[in-house]
Amino acid sequence: MASLWTTQDLYEALSASALSLEGKIELNDGLEPNISVQLADFGDLPVQITVSGAQLMVSSALWEASQVKDLARFNEAALKLNPVNALSNIGLISLAPGRDLYIMFGELSASSDLAHIIEEIRVLADNTIEAAEVFSEQLIPSPAISGPAMFTGAAT
Amino acid sequence: MSLWRKIFTMFRARATEAGEAVVDANALRILDQEIRDASEALRKSRDDLTTMMAQRKLSFNKVQPKQNKIAEYSGFIEQLLDRGDEALAREVAQKLADLERETEADVQLLGQFDSNIEILKKSILQAEGTISRLKQQVDSVKATENVQRAQAALASQHSGTNTALRTATDSLERIKQKQLERAAKFDAAKELEHFGGDHDLQAKLANAGLLENSASADSVLARFKTRASLAAPAAPLSLGRPNPERPGPDGSSQ
Repeated sequence: MASLWTTQDLYEALSASALSLEGKIELNDGLEPNISVQLADFGDLPVQITVSGAQLMVSSALWEASQVKDLARFNEAALKLNPVNALSNIGLISLAPGRDLYIMFGELSASSDLAHIIEEIRVLADNTIEAAEVFSEQLIPSPAISGPAMFTGAAT
Repeated sequence: MSLWRKIFTMFRARATEAGEAVVDANALRILDQEIRDASEALRKSRDDLTTMMAQRKLSFNKVQPKQNKIAEYSGFIEQLLDRGDEALAREVAQKLADLERETEADVQLLGQFDSNIEILKKSILQAEGTISRLKQQVDSVKATENVQRAQAALASQHSGTNTALRTATDSLERIKQKQLERAAKFDAAKELEHFGGDHDLQAKLANAGLLENSASADSVLARFKTRASLAAPAAPLSLGRPNPERPGPDGSSQ
C-alpha cells in the first residue's frame, strides 16, 4: 500500500509544487495541523486541507446558515445538487452554539498522488465559487462582505 | 445501519441541548466502542478458527491410518477367501466393519469441521471489513472535527472586525471585482495603445514636415522666412492664413 501523507509532508510538497505560484499556502500548526490554500484565481478563497489517518479532506466555507434567506429551500436545492456535483459535497458544520456553517468538501485517500490532491483543491475552489454564484439570490447580502478592508487586501 | 441510527439519535439529543457545539466527541466515543466490540469479536473468531483447524488436523491424522488399515484388511479378506479360509476371513471382516463405521463417523466430523471453518473464515472477513469501515468513519469524523476547528478559528479571528467569516460569497465578490478591474485595465490599455499609436504616427508625420499645425521651431522659423521673403507682394494672403502651404516651404524637409 502506498504511504499516507502527513499534514507536514503534504504542506511541504504543495509549497514546492506549481500551485504555490498561484497563491498562498500556509500551515496552521497545532494539535491537529491543517493546511490553508488561497488561490488568486479563486478570489483567495481559503481552502482547508486536513489529513486524518487514511483520509484527506479538502473543504471550504460556503456561508453561514444565518446568511441563507430560506433554509428549507436552500437545503433542498443543496441536496439536489449533491448527486450531480460529482467531486464535491455540501455539508453543514457547527462553529459555535447556534452558529452553523455550510461547507463544500471532498474526501480523498491520504495515499493519493500529489497531482490528484492539487486537482481536488482546484475543483473544490471552482465548485465553491460556482455555488456562490448559483445561490447568490438565496443569500442575504451581507454589508460587511465587500467592505473596504477586503479591497486593501486585494490591491496588494 | 445501527451505527447511523446511533449517531443520528445522538445528533438530535444534542440539538435540544443547544449548549454543545461540537458533537463529534460523542460520535468518536460511539465509534471507539464499536471498533472495540468488532475487534474483540474478530479476536474470538480467530481463536476459534485456530482451535478448529487444529482439531480438524487431529481427526484427519486419525482417519488416515484407519483408511490404511481398511485397505490392508480388504487385501487380507480377498486372499483368505481365495484360500478358502472363510472363518478367518469372517473374523477380519468383523474388524473391517468396525473400522469402516469409525471412519465414516470421522469423515462426517471432518466435514463438519470444514463447514465450520468456512463459516468462521467468512465472519472474520466480515469483521475485518467492519473494522476498516469503522476506522474510515473515525477518520471522517476526525477530519470534520478538524475542519470545524479550523473554521471556528477563522471565525474567531474575524469576530473582532465586524466582518463575517470570509466565505465563498466574499471570494466570488473578489473575483468579480478583479474581473472588472481587469476589464477596465484592458480597456485602458487598449485606449492607450490606440492613442499611443496615433501619437506615434503624428510625431512621425510631424517630423516628416507633413503636419503644418505642429509647431516646431523649424516650421515657425520657416513660416517667418517665407513671410519675410514674400512680404511685399503677398502680404494679405499670408496674413489671412497663418499656415504656410503644404510642401516644405524651403524644400529642405522634402
